[in-house]
Amino acid sequence: MLFEKIEPLLLNVQKPARYIGGEPGSIMKDKRDVKVRFAFCFPDRYDVGMSHLGMKILYSAINHRPEYWCERVFAPDVDFESAMRAHGIPLYALESLEPIKDFDFIGFTLQYELCYTNILNMLDLAGVPLMQKDRGENIAPIVCAGGSCACNPEPIADFFDLFFIGEGEELDLEVMDLYEKMRAEGATRSEFLRAAAGIEGVYVPSLYDVTYHEDGTIAAFTPKGDAPKTVRKRIIADFDKADVPEEFVVPFAEIVHDRAVTEVLRGCIRGCRFCQAGFLYRPFREKSPEVICKQSKTLCDRTGYEELSLCSLSTSDHSQIEAMLDGLLTFTEQEHINLSLPSLRVDNFSTGLMNRIRKVRNSGLTFAPEAGTQRLRDVINKNVTEEDLMRTCKIAFAGGQATVKLYFMMGLPTETDEDITAIVDLAQRVVDMWFSMDERPKGKSVQISVSVATFVPKPFTPFQFHPQDTVAMIAHKQHLLEEAAKGHKRIRVSWHAPETSILEAVLARGDRRLGKVILDAWKKGCLFDAWSEHFRFDLWQEAMTENHLTMEFYANRPRSYDEILPWDHLDYYVDKAFFIKENEKAIAASTTPHCRMQCTACGVSRVMGKPCFPKKEENV
Amino acid sequence: MISVRATFAKRRRAKYISHLDLMRCMQRAFRRAGVPVWFTEGFNPHAYLMFPLALSLGYESDCECMDFRIDGQMSMQTAMRRLNAVLPPDLQIVKVAEPVRKHTDIAFADYSICLDCAEGTSAHGLRAAWDAYIAQDTIPIVKKTKRGTATIDLKAQAQILMTQTLDDGLWLKLRMPAGTSVNVNPGLLIDSFRSALEQNHPGVQCGMMRASRLAILCADGSEFV
Repeated sequence: MLFEKIEPLLLNVQKPARYIGGEPGSIMKDKRDVKVRFAFCFPDRYDVGMSHLGMKILYSAINHRPEYWCERVFAPDVDFESAMRAHGIPLYALESLEPIKDFDFIGFTLQYELCYTNILNMLDLAGVPLMQKDRGENIAPIVCAGGSCACNPEPIADFFDLFFIGEGEELDLEVMDLYEKMRAEGATRSEFLRAAAGIEGVYVPSLYDVTYHEDGTIAAFTPKGDAPKTVRKRIIADFDKADVPEEFVVPFAEIVHDRAVTEVLRGCIRGCRFCQAGFLYRPFREKSPEVICKQSKTLCDRTGYEELSLCSLSTSDHSQIEAMLDGLLTFTEQEHINLSLPSLRVDNFSTGLMNRIRKVRNSGLTFAPEAGTQRLRDVINKNVTEEDLMRTCKIAFAGGQATVKLYFMMGLPTETDEDITAIVDLAQRVVDMWFSMDERPKGKSVQISVSVATFVPKPFTPFQFHPQDTVAMIAHKQHLLEEAAKGHKRIRVSWHAPETSILEAVLARGDRRLGKVILDAWKKGCLFDAWSEHFRFDLWQEAMTENHLTMEFYANRPRSYDEILPWDHLDYYVDKAFFIKENEKAIAASTTPHCRMQCTACGVSRVMGKPCFPKKEENV
Repeated sequence: MISVRATFAKRRRAKYISHLDLMRCMQRAFRRAGVPVWFTEGFNPHAYLMFPLALSLGYESDCECMDFRIDGQMSMQTAMRRLNAVLPPDLQIVKVAEPVRKHTDIAFADYSICLDCAEGTSAHGLRAAWDAYIAQDTIPIVKKTKRGTATIDLKAQAQILMTQTLDDGLWLKLRMPAGTSVNVNPGLLIDSFRSALEQNHPGVQCGMMRASRLAILCADGSEFV
């Protein structure tokens, strides 16, 4: 235990409570009773990682088994990292305060591409060889990862023993069971990895060879030995009946989302063509209102949280949302718990429920039209209309609100200058409506915040074939937007520098050759790339150039439909042919109805062997 | 409704919980424990908890104090047992009683401070430097307050109860003004000593400080709790 060594450093760093564990709800075990130890690493700071629901779910699932112990690890901030390095303290886990290099599994969750250098830094700080090939034949530690970015793990394939593809609740434990069995038999690392590759949902990158054409595209992706040709993702058997954490580790220090969270549904019926999550997490599954209320109540009782929020993609699509909210409000009102709701389409609720929701404190309305014109909204299949926006804003204004946040993207496929200037026009029509309303709140002035993100084409979306806009194109569009917004006093427009989105685009659709680039960028000092104060695009460009690669190849190049994409060997239940069909419809500005209205034959129900929605369900 | 004054210990891992974080932690502990604590009324009802004296980050203590009210049928011993079951092992209630003294009665607090020698510094060297430092007639320092800065004389404020040379450091017991009107953190004295070492005793350095609060006292020297 490193307590004595850590302690002298803590009072000289910011927010030391992040580095010492001991929070209520953290699981302590006697390591003599434990057979397999799992270090669950979130490659960002404590306050970000502790907000992540996935970690809480897997922490609970693994620790549910008495003989397995899952502990938490976060990226230390730069001040504590340098103190650790200066005093020879290796990266340790927060429960036992023991070095993670002695654990059986070191597992990272991959929530965004810009955390990749943090992964290398954490492995280095742990004293674990960065490259998978350098880890030798000793079975431990197995360095693994899962999470949404595991859908294209190729850029970081060189650093990992295995990836968990899809949902981890059952998969992680199966892999740990296999490990425990094979370690007892004296298996080597490669023997274990070959056997693990036989479990559905496990991808072992070292079991595949990649060759490239002269133009840099992939020529062939070849499994070695009996490794599966494609790796299909895992989903859990029954979402409604799945175990969920009954308690959370409740942090002392304030974190980004410091509240109880209940996952109400998984997957999404909408099919927005830019949205990776909407395709990755299919099929759509929901929990019954009874289960949601019971789980929420238990969680609030066990954590003592005074705030509860709901987690899912489009929450409004829950088929029994009214019953669910009614049940939740009943116990939260009674117990002084603040229920914070995501932006819901609330216009067709009963008046009784509407009034109760209004009592819930709300931090202002957010709405994501994503594009300024109906044509472009049809291209991206964002099935909201201007009428939807106006109706929602009208309800919010009538309810006393005066600020609205609108989210848009720029750089979407087929986008023109008119689509950009239309963003401001749309916001102005919201302002105009405010002034036309007699029942608008008195003594307040309307403020529309327009936030415009740079579009990043992602794997497993219909737009995976599209080039991202170049820096020059983005700069032009940002200028256009700035000009258009001049003189509109009630509208505030904001955007980010595009460089972060460009790197995100490169890493999201990258291949294995980027492994060396990530390694070199880290060696040059890149770290916390998602934090603007740390982001060093120039160093990333250097690393690309030195490896004879270009950002343009990955970010700005259109892919043909028959190109072998770096993630084509992974199967997320949705067919590539479906993405091609959807992309063609996008270019024709033709929309696709949501899954409840009509099955789009994306491939999910074929893999499942049954329709996602019972046939006779009333169309919603 | 009964009023309760709980004495709690804050040790090891729990000593890095800041005062603000501690208040939030206790709020949630009451919910987890199911103790019918009295809630404030108003727009944002929350459990009514009072901490008469904050403890600096990094200090350990067995004598911290928290007041609350039980609004229902529960004895204070049951409340203590239930709270301890849901609090981390390094943060535990050691005693509950009815409040006797007012918060404004708090006048002093006693502290134990262990100062390690830095590498290359002997315990005797550190002791000699300390003796010279504390023998000064006045030890003025500038303290930031809400209304700007104020100069205070630490020599007049601090009572040295004990000074002992250890194998590898120095062990002090101090009595400092504490409470709602005047509060002097012993860390100010140690910081001032560190600066004095830099200026007047090149080669003598102290390392880590281990601090704990030993008691919270009223003006007549009696224990607050």
